[in-house]
Amino acid sequence: MPDAPDHPPEALAIRTAGLSKSYRHNWTGRIVTGLDELNLEVRLGEVMGYLGPNGAGKTTTLKLLTGLLKPTRGDAWLMGVPIQQVSSRRRIGFLPEQPYFYEYLNGMEYLELAGQLSGLAGQEAHRQARGWLGRVGLGERPRLVLRKYSKGMLQRLGLAAALLHQPDVLILDEPMSGLDPFGRRDVRDLILEQRERGTTVLFSSHILPDVEILCDRVAIILGGRLTRVATVGQLVGASHQQVEIRCTVVPPFAPEPGLVGTVERRDRPHETSFLLHDDTRLGEMLAWLLRVGAQVRAVTPQRATLEELFLATAARADADAHADERRSA
Amino acid sequence: MKAAAIARNTFREATRDRALTGVLVAGVALILATQALGALALGEESRLTVDLGLSAISGFGLLVIVLVGTSLVAKEIERRTIFNLLSRPIGRPAYLLGKWLGLSSALWVVVAVLGLVVWLMLEVRGHGGYGPAVAEAAYLAGLELTVVTGLAVLFSALSTPVLSTLYTVGFYCAGQWSWDLRDFAERAPGALGVTLRVAADLVPNLPIFNMRALAAHGQVTTPFHLGLATLYALVYCGCVLALAAAAFESRDFK
Repeated sequence: MPDAPDHPPEALAIRTAGLSKSYRHNWTGRIVTGLDELNLEVRLGEVMGYLGPNGAGKTTTLKLLTGLLKPTRGDAWLMGVPIQQVSSRRRIGFLPEQPYFYEYLNGMEYLELAGQLSGLAGQEAHRQARGWLGRVGLGERPRLVLRKYSKGMLQRLGLAAALLHQPDVLILDEPMSGLDPFGRRDVRDLILEQRERGTTVLFSSHILPDVEILCDRVAIILGGRLTRVATVGQLVGASHQQVEIRCTVVPPFAPEPGLVGTVERRDRPHETSFLLHDDTRLGEMLAWLLRVGAQVRAVTPQRATLEELFLATAARADADAHADERRSA
Repeated sequence: MKAAAIARNTFREATRDRALTGVLVAGVALILATQALGALALGEESRLTVDLGLSAISGFGLLVIVLVGTSLVAKEIERRTIFNLLSRPIGRPAYLLGKWLGLSSALWVVVAVLGLVVWLMLEVRGHGGYGPAVAEAAYLAGLELTVVTGLAVLFSALSTPVLSTLYTVGFYCAGQWSWDLRDFAERAPGALGVTLRVAADLVPNLPIFNMRALAAHGQVTTPFHLGLATLYALVYCGCVLALAAAAFESRDFK
């Protein structure tokens, strides 16, 4: 039986309970686990980043939610509707990783088709297609065939196709991969716009600065297992902050014995900076600097980036896995 | 409604494919070429035109199925365009139905164009009386192609384009000989006879759609035959598509 959700089910846009996917190798018969007992909740109106290295199970999760893969075990619901039901996909928009399109269609025809398949009537599909083609900057040449589109144009078209029926839940698989900085900015703006609208967004990404900007919460998946779900603030705030102190006129004294090991000194031609690894020792550090006659010019807290935290989590999980292997050996 | 959208798109895909244009041009050229053979036909020009024209409809229609139909679904899976469709609120049976309807519609266009060319040739030669027979025979040829398209969709949904082509052409050939197969089954002993009978029941009864010989003499068939052939085509396609849908339902798209 799935665990009871932390939030009432009606407040959840996406919920999975023990969702698992295994594949059997055609020739060897070996079973490979793509996703293992995923219990994930995405609240209404929330933007959640789904992080993990290649092969961690991100795409598997998103394909299970959108009906492209069938779960081996477990359940999932989209806006309260079980994913086994076709109607669960009525209120979602999905952009697959590196989306592929019908090259013989033009932008307008493709969006009309997408709209009709998402339940829009012919006229409404046409109206929305025209509107969205313009909104993603492709409106000038609506009859241009897709084989002549660049990668960035195709990605924007894919996003328009995911959005034109105004879904309540947006599921994006690596929406920024392969895009230049302008393309990334456009996609980021579209996601922010959807957040303003109240759309729930679940997206996987490798580009962590974007995740940091966009997400309310992030979920980290490693080796098919969910290892952490937290707000970006919690993740970053929970880590020990470093503080950089820039000074001029610092005599070449060694720091006090109590601070040795927590501070790094870097001498430059016109200034000396100290990197204090533990912000709780800031007062002690400043007192020492003033005592030795240093002129303190700037004190700058240095937050660990999401990227550093993600790498640390992955390294920790890797070390745990190795430890488990050694124990079982 | 959603199956209709898939069907429209499949029709568009087929009609924008150069293969279909090539087949149409080749078909029209073949029918026109039969006029040059008129002198060798010893007064049987009309019969030759009808016979070759109707054979061209069936043959070129089958070629379209092989070139487009047998990779209809497999290509979508391989190129991952299917992700954009099946992640929307559309059931897999509706998707397959749309694919079948779309390609069948394109084939009906091929049948109509080539049938019209045959009729025009006959009209020009002053044999307009063949019109009803040609129309009936072309209609039955269209039904035959519709049935074979159903098989192509089934195999395309379950295997690779190469295997799908082999299975579809195999079933087409076996279907053409289904009456002979039934005769063999009557005479074969024991288990072999039962196996042949089951095989004869499973492959499509394609001779029911062949009235080329009759049409070549300007003769029409009975309304009962037309009705029965239509009903058979619909029931056979229904069964094949239901089988395809059942097998396709559990398929993963990695």
